[in-house]
Amino acid sequence: MWVKLAFKLFSREFRRGELTIIFAAIALAVLTVFSLSAITERISLNIAHKSSDFIASDRRLSSNHAFEPQLLKQASQFGLATAQMLYFDSMLFANDELVLGSVKATTAAYPLRGKITIKDNLASKAYEVETGPKAGSVWLSEGLFYTLKVNVGDTVELGAGNFNVTKVLVKEPDAPFFSLSGNKRVLLNYADIETTQAVQPGSRVFHRLLFAGNEQELSDYYAWLKPQLKSNQNWQGLKDRQSPLGNNLDRAERFLLLAGLFGIMLAAVAMAVSAKRYCERQYDPVAMMKTLGGSRKVIRNIFLLHLSLVTTFSIVAGLAVGFILQTIGADYLATFMGTELPQAGVRPWLLSAFIGLVCALMFSLKPLLDLFDIPPLRVLRRNLGDTLAISRIHIGLSMLTIFVLMWLFSGEIVTTLILFASTLVVIAVLFALSRLLFAAGRKLGLRPGSSWSLAIATLQKRANANAIQLISFALAIKLMLFLVVLKNDIISDWQMQVPADAPNMFIINIAKEEVEPIKQFFNKHNIAHEAFYPVFSGRVDAVNGEEFARRVSKQEGEEKDESAREGVSREPNLTWLTSLPEGNEITEGEWFTDGGTGDDIEVSVFDGWQETLGLKIGDTITLLVNEQPIDAKVTSFRKVDWGSLKPNFVMILSPNMAGKVPVTYFSAAKLHDRDTKGISQLLQRYPTISMIDIKAQIEQAQSIIAQVSLAIGFVLSIVLVSGALVLISQVQASLAERMQEVVILRTLGAKGRLIKLATLYEFMLLGGIAGLVAAIVSDVALLVIQQQLFDISGRLHPYIWLLGPVSGALFVSSIGYFMVANTMRQNTQGLLRKLG
Amino acid sequence: MSVLSQLNVIQVSGLTQRVNTLEGSLTILSDINFSVKSGESVAIVGASGSGKSTLLSLLAGLDVASQGEVHLDGDALSTLDEEARAQLRAEKIGFVFQSFMLVQSLTALENVMLPAELAGDHDAKAQAVELLDKVGLSHRLAHYPSQLSGGEQQRVAIARAFIGSPKILFADEPSANLDSKNGHLIETLLFDLNKQNGTTLVLVTHDEQLAKKCQRIIHIEGGQLEKISEGAAANVG
Repeated sequence: MWVKLAFKLFSREFRRGELTIIFAAIALAVLTVFSLSAITERISLNIAHKSSDFIASDRRLSSNHAFEPQLLKQASQFGLATAQMLYFDSMLFANDELVLGSVKATTAAYPLRGKITIKDNLASKAYEVETGPKAGSVWLSEGLFYTLKVNVGDTVELGAGNFNVTKVLVKEPDAPFFSLSGNKRVLLNYADIETTQAVQPGSRVFHRLLFAGNEQELSDYYAWLKPQLKSNQNWQGLKDRQSPLGNNLDRAERFLLLAGLFGIMLAAVAMAVSAKRYCERQYDPVAMMKTLGGSRKVIRNIFLLHLSLVTTFSIVAGLAVGFILQTIGADYLATFMGTELPQAGVRPWLLSAFIGLVCALMFSLKPLLDLFDIPPLRVLRRNLGDTLAISRIHIGLSMLTIFVLMWLFSGEIVTTLILFASTLVVIAVLFALSRLLFAAGRKLGLRPGSSWSLAIATLQKRANANAIQLISFALAIKLMLFLVVLKNDIISDWQMQVPADAPNMFIINIAKEEVEPIKQFFNKHNIAHEAFYPVFSGRVDAVNGEEFARRVSKQEGEEKDESAREGVSREPNLTWLTSLPEGNEITEGEWFTDGGTGDDIEVSVFDGWQETLGLKIGDTITLLVNEQPIDAKVTSFRKVDWGSLKPNFVMILSPNMAGKVPVTYFSAAKLHDRDTKGISQLLQRYPTISMIDIKAQIEQAQSIIAQVSLAIGFVLSIVLVSGALVLISQVQASLAERMQEVVILRTLGAKGRLIKLATLYEFMLLGGIAGLVAAIVSDVALLVIQQQLFDISGRLHPYIWLLGPVSGALFVSSIGYFMVANTMRQNTQGLLRKLG
Repeated sequence: MSVLSQLNVIQVSGLTQRVNTLEGSLTILSDINFSVKSGESVAIVGASGSGKSTLLSLLAGLDVASQGEVHLDGDALSTLDEEARAQLRAEKIGFVFQSFMLVQSLTALENVMLPAELAGDHDAKAQAVELLDKVGLSHRLAHYPSQLSGGEQQRVAIARAFIGSPKILFADEPSANLDSKNGHLIETLLFDLNKQNGTTLVLVTHDEQLAKKCQRIIHIEGGQLEKISEGAAANVG
């Protein structure tokens, strides 16, 4: 019998809109989690997929020793696609020209991800292919064609073998962003390694195994591989790589994660408030039912069934709306990116449904228990069971639930803790502030009868309820401000990494006497260029007189070198400079004393090498430059942004190095299509200089940044909508509570304008204060989060100190005004009856 | 239990109610003793704050007395827990309240059916339709409380009070929220239905005229039973 009654009550409550907010809150939590996690997963899959191009695979294993065949065999058994690569340097010979080239020999499966860009000849258009050269042929980079004076179809000698030059190699997917040897690249078939006889025992070679497959297969394989990895073997994924992309992906993922967490937090706040409100509104019916003989068990069953029904409906609705939303979003993103986004798996469905369920259960548990405890005597003593303040247990339980949900969603305890703690600070500050404010307002003694005095009086009278409202307004505003600011900062930081005027061509091997004519050429053709850096290469031979080989094995050094600095040649490129280059930061020590003009040669070292070489300030490094030993004293360590796409150096020596070693010069320029002809003339006039085109890399980085920025914008808009809904539901909930006051004031003859203005001012004050506190706390939390999680230099954002209170006051007061105006349209008798 | 007490559907002995306040214990009712026979109509009168509503809450088992005992149709309320008291109310008691206390999300018909449904009665609808017809609201079955006037809402509440044919009907200021015309209408309806159903009526009011319509009047003053007088209906009953 109670089931029928329960369904009847449920359908009526639903139609009357009593369950709307609770339904909306759960649905909001579900749709936020679903759409965010589905979109995030789809974009991440796509980005990871696209970004895998950058290492031509999903994972790779590097070593300077040959791999056991078992590794490949096992990978195939795990369902992974594999390819093999070998790097080595070898002499190329043609037309009496001899040059040292960087050879990459690859099996037919290379590249597993991405494509190789080639040209049929120097003048033709570039296009993409999916595999490297056939056995017996080689592809050479453009620079080699000039140096060796060959054309497509000619033969070159590579080591001991003769190979037919069949294509111009423009770009491989895993080509380094910047390498001084980048202009003399040779792509060779793996089967031809033997023919070259270039690989002998003791040769400097680098082996790589490439793997591609789904995440599960890859992690299964890695689990098998990990215990047997040798110290010279290095397992890498895209994120391990120090590149702008790896960092950006990381940041994007962190942002999406934060956005998701905020979405959950917002929905949870809405749920906690609406569940309490709904249960409170059921106090009278429950007291009545108990009076009429309804047992506690029947009442419990009725309301648990209500909870189950509303939870089921809202989860289904949340999933449906979330699915539509993410489909629209994904379609839009896919159109923009000109690609198809891979479908998300079951995780978003399960996660969001589970979070909806937990939200529904945990936030309604205490209010429901209170509801079951409502005494029947309430029918006679009308305020029995009323609690103005939310109970400590409800607060504690809700907070614990929010924390667990955040942790569950993010899987990151540190991020969760930072966000949670900052939220607690907001709550504490606001609670104290609201108490102070309402107490101070009481002393103001405003003129009776004015809208302002009515507004202040209402605020004071409802101090507890207002404190809670203030907190939820501030939380919603804080989360929204936080994301808006963070999004702007992340994107502007990315754009700074690859500015529109970034150089797209590196010019290397410039002789000293060529510097001036090339400068003049650039100036004549209005080509923006960077400074001309003196460059020489050298090898670290000893530290404090002790031979380097004995301190750190060559193998280990090379391995770290290889894994840590993709874009840097194995023999470090050295320069001398008078001032610290842009984008570098001294981490220890001081820049050269007296500008490095004294007798001693000083050196500033990339901090990544500090540990590798076991260096400390004051050590003396012996560099072998052209077999000539040079002693330099370490005076500083520098942080280097290898992802900046600008010339970077492992070691910078003091300017007093000038004249001590032979150098070539190096510069970078921003070239446009119109400069092509001029550049060909330049290359013909100075055949020894080499140009490295990094346009494609820059475009690729820019396209990914644009894609991620768009994704972030989309996710942000979802969270903003959630935040707005929370604010609306809050105002709505509070207005329902204000109905009685409105009716009394109306009955006593208060003019509609007075009531509306009082509500407007009251909400304006609430929104303004909430916005101000939200802005202050957001800014402080941003400082921490930016530095800790995003590696962006933290700074304050004074504009949000104004934006917060103004937008808070405007938004909250306009919703409040609109809703109270709507209420005022009904006549007083109608309102009285509604109150029952 | 004596034959006499079996005839008494309500037996109150030494009933005392104290509440704890910030200023210490406050006695609201002190040593109240009386009995009500089956089918009798009794009014409890007193000024505001005299303790009459508290007495009603103890008689109906809505609250538990600090001291003393209430026997309701033979059951000592102090021996029953909350669930058993609810069960007792479901089986034997009907209520009419000053503020109607209708469930806003249910129609007039559904509100009347509610006690019967809670008691698991399958014949609830037929009974409710008949009762609403008796209170003159057969044309308002599907109306929600907010669509009814105050008088109509109280008539729905009266119909609800009589569903399941309770032995005892407690009415708390049933006409206090209504104008005199509607008030009189409600009072007449209440007494007529009471007579037809042979229900025991316990009416709490501060209205002397309404109290006089009952057979006996219990006067409460300052939490104490001041006197018990006969009402105008004494001879009729």
